[in-house]
Amino acid sequence: MGVMRTAGLVLAALAAAILLGGLLSGIDRRLTARLQSRKGPPVIQPFLDVIKLMAKERIVTNPWQAFSPVATLAAAATALVLFVFQGDLLVILFVHMAGGVFLVLGAMASPSPYSQTGGQRELWQMLSCETLLFLIAGALYLTTGSFRISGVSDLPEPLLYRLPLLFAAFFFALIVKMRKSPFDFAACHHAHQELVRGVYTEYVGPHLGLLEIAHWLDIVLYLAICSLFWATGATAMILLPLAAYVAVIVLDNVSARLTWRWMLGWGWGAGFILSALNLFWLKG
Amino acid sequence: MTVQAGLARLDFLLCIMGSSMSEAILVVLIIVPFLAALACFFIRSTAFRTFVVIATVCVLAISSLLLQESPAGGFGGMSAGIIDPVITCGDFLLLGIMFFLGCRYRHPLIVMLTGGQLALFAWLEFFVFAGGQGPALFQADVLSLTMVRVVCIVGGFICLHAIPYMRAHEEHQKLERSRQPGFFAVLLMFLGAMNGLVLTNHLAHFYFFFELTTLCSFLLIGHDGTDEAVGNALTALWMNAVGGLLLLLAIWGLYAQSSSLDMYGLVVSAGTGRAAMLPLALLILAAFTKSAQLPWQRWLLGAMVAPTPTSALLHSSTMVKAGVYLALRFAPALAGTMLAQGLMLAGGFTFLAAAALAIGQRNAKKVLAYSTISNLGLIFACAGIGTPGAMAAGILLILFHAVSKGLLFLCVGTAEQQVRSRDIEVMRGLCAIMPFTGMIAVLAVLTLILPPFGMLLGKWMVFEAGADNIVFYLMLVLGSACTLLYWVRLAGTLLTGGQTAGFKPEIKPFLTRFPLAALVCAAVILGLCAPALYAWLIAPLTSLFDAITTFPAGQPLSANRAGGLFNAQGAFPLASLFLVAALIGLVAMYAVRKAMAGKKGSPYMSGANSNLPDHFLGPMNRPVRAVVENYYLAPLFGEERWTLWVNLAAAGLLLFILGGGLWA
Repeated sequence: MGVMRTAGLVLAALAAAILLGGLLSGIDRRLTARLQSRKGPPVIQPFLDVIKLMAKERIVTNPWQAFSPVATLAAAATALVLFVFQGDLLVILFVHMAGGVFLVLGAMASPSPYSQTGGQRELWQMLSCETLLFLIAGALYLTTGSFRISGVSDLPEPLLYRLPLLFAAFFFALIVKMRKSPFDFAACHHAHQELVRGVYTEYVGPHLGLLEIAHWLDIVLYLAICSLFWATGATAMILLPLAAYVAVIVLDNVSARLTWRWMLGWGWGAGFILSALNLFWLKG
Repeated sequence: MTVQAGLARLDFLLCIMGSSMSEAILVVLIIVPFLAALACFFIRSTAFRTFVVIATVCVLAISSLLLQESPAGGFGGMSAGIIDPVITCGDFLLLGIMFFLGCRYRHPLIVMLTGGQLALFAWLEFFVFAGGQGPALFQADVLSLTMVRVVCIVGGFICLHAIPYMRAHEEHQKLERSRQPGFFAVLLMFLGAMNGLVLTNHLAHFYFFFELTTLCSFLLIGHDGTDEAVGNALTALWMNAVGGLLLLLAIWGLYAQSSSLDMYGLVVSAGTGRAAMLPLALLILAAFTKSAQLPWQRWLLGAMVAPTPTSALLHSSTMVKAGVYLALRFAPALAGTMLAQGLMLAGGFTFLAAAALAIGQRNAKKVLAYSTISNLGLIFACAGIGTPGAMAAGILLILFHAVSKGLLFLCVGTAEQQVRSRDIEVMRGLCAIMPFTGMIAVLAVLTLILPPFGMLLGKWMVFEAGADNIVFYLMLVLGSACTLLYWVRLAGTLLTGGQTAGFKPEIKPFLTRFPLAALVCAAVILGLCAPALYAWLIAPLTSLFDAITTFPAGQPLSANRAGGLFNAQGAFPLASLFLVAALIGLVAMYAVRKAMAGKKGSPYMSGANSNLPDHFLGPMNRPVRAVVENYYLAPLFGEERWTLWVNLAAAGLLLFILGGGLWA
């Protein structure tokens, strides 16, 4: 009974997350098109893309390109399930990170310079993003006395009031994770990128399809973490991530891409300092 | 009634037998390696030596598993009558040898340091230490038992791997007279010295074994006899001689207050005043030199010139682990003091700084060396946090680090013998040339960085235990991010390779393959057993801390029904994650099989692929090799730029530790 219910909950959560992630991606494309005075594809286009990818032939240059997508998707799904079960934020982040590790390993398994460079850049992105997420976990501990996310809902006021600087840093991490300008240098959807598809270059057909779904799940996880900043009511928990999501898309369309050195220096450095200040302030 | 009496009697007999059996095992663990070393050294037959090494390793491994926890107060019944004078003579011999080495190589620093130790030791031995009934000579608690098993089993695998490795090593060197007898003698002696070090309860004997490991590492590092090897061995000798001197001063200080050399007793009864803390601070500094913590990292980085078994042994199961053992042994006495705060911060700083320096390295062995230093910093920090939970995390980290790191060193060494370089870029695509070694190296890296494996579990425990101190938490987060980066980069580089068809299967001797396969299995299985190991560790540690300190003990983790570990601060669903990981592995392997059955692609080269692998068609339709190298960001993470500053900062932290000793 208990096992069946758990399994049902897991499946329902994953289905909902995939649906939500795909729709958000569709909205993203539509909104971006409007900002560029185009009409844009239908909102369900991302699903159609993935279905088409799934039907294509499996071609690899190295077996790891078949191994990695499965591992990446499974890690993203596991992290999300742990979030739904109100688990330990540190463990969620560790599992989430494992997905990124496999994505990079698969990309580096090919000698293609595009894939290699994309993989390296993805690593630097992980270095800067994950650091900030772990600092959010630290803030969670300092405010609630526990790393479990279940503690957030008991707080009398939104976490955002006490973590404004950390939220700014998180917004930076969200841009990086969504692969948007100005930080879209490991892989991006647009043609102006000089790396072909960077870290995704060597993944084709069903493998790319799996990675696309994994990316949706990652975005949903990030938005779920974003909702922790205002966990006092359902409305705010939906509105805050949505506002952040739209803000990232707008920023993507009004900014040019920066170099990865810039990201490491300013994004990571400044983001880290802001977060650290916020943590000291929280404790003091 | 009679049955009950009979049972009670049987129980009593078993108890007696048990304790005398433990003592017999103790003798085997410490004496047998020395006897085997003598046999290796004097009987110069290869077959005989191989037999002795294999037999010794088997005996040690089995004995280490049979050894049980000693009763409170240590193993009784062992008389100090013979052992004491033998060890004292050994001490003088050892210091004399080191003094002589200093003279022979005209190294004034070594001469002064060992001369100072010799004088101080003689004075202490003849005028200060009173005779009479000393403490129990040996004791084995959970910390010692874990260490003994790491030394005997992981160290044993390294010795086995050394047999074919050294044969190939000497074939390459073209020596007239084999130097293997000496090498294996020192290797085995090292295991005996480590066993003695972690089992003894007598502080003066501890000093003897501590110095013996210093001498062994000098001999092993300098084994090849090149100028570089001898130079680096001398560096190791003088730096560890500083550690020896600090340890001797600490022993003097401890004896001066309590007139006792009983290690367990000193931990239990250590005072909190200034006089009590200063020797403990010196003890910690001695442990830092032994574990090559910043700013003493130079000797361990230099030790890389030695043959692979040496570096594997120094890094995973012996030598550097002696330092963290000492810190963890005295951790309960430090809990809650300024000194412990300093220890935590210095450990955290080493964790971060060494990880950042590893990013800038393209020498694979140096990456491994920095990563060892970094992980040991984490274990020192565990000793500084000062809760039973943190100490259990530290012990688990010792274990998991030894297995995975030993494995990686053996893989890199095997690869180095083949590709004749330590440069990561030269090892690019190793998995295509050496599929077995390459894949095991990648697996070893994954067990170091991915959940649900043991290293990550240990790190999670440290995160939870140390989150109250923000500075420490920040260092932990940054250090972990750097760690992830350099490991994934290394594993990815090994994997690079387009064509997997047409490679030759790797043919290696059984004694090369067996240790690798066994260690990789151990890394996975031990990770799965982590909750049981934790439960085994935490109960005695909790009662130890309760007996000694009033510092808040934190919340130990407990296991839940689903095989996870949890407390009020967090939860790690270990068994579920292992299940998920196994499922992922199966599904992914299925995907691999399916993909391999299909069409093979060629790497993307802007559509201008040439017929040659890894080449594209350049100008005039000539094939050009596509060369990609990793970002090492030498200007940002290079050791040339940072070593001085990092060392200064670390030295500042050491002064802080010493200050913590004076302040309290």
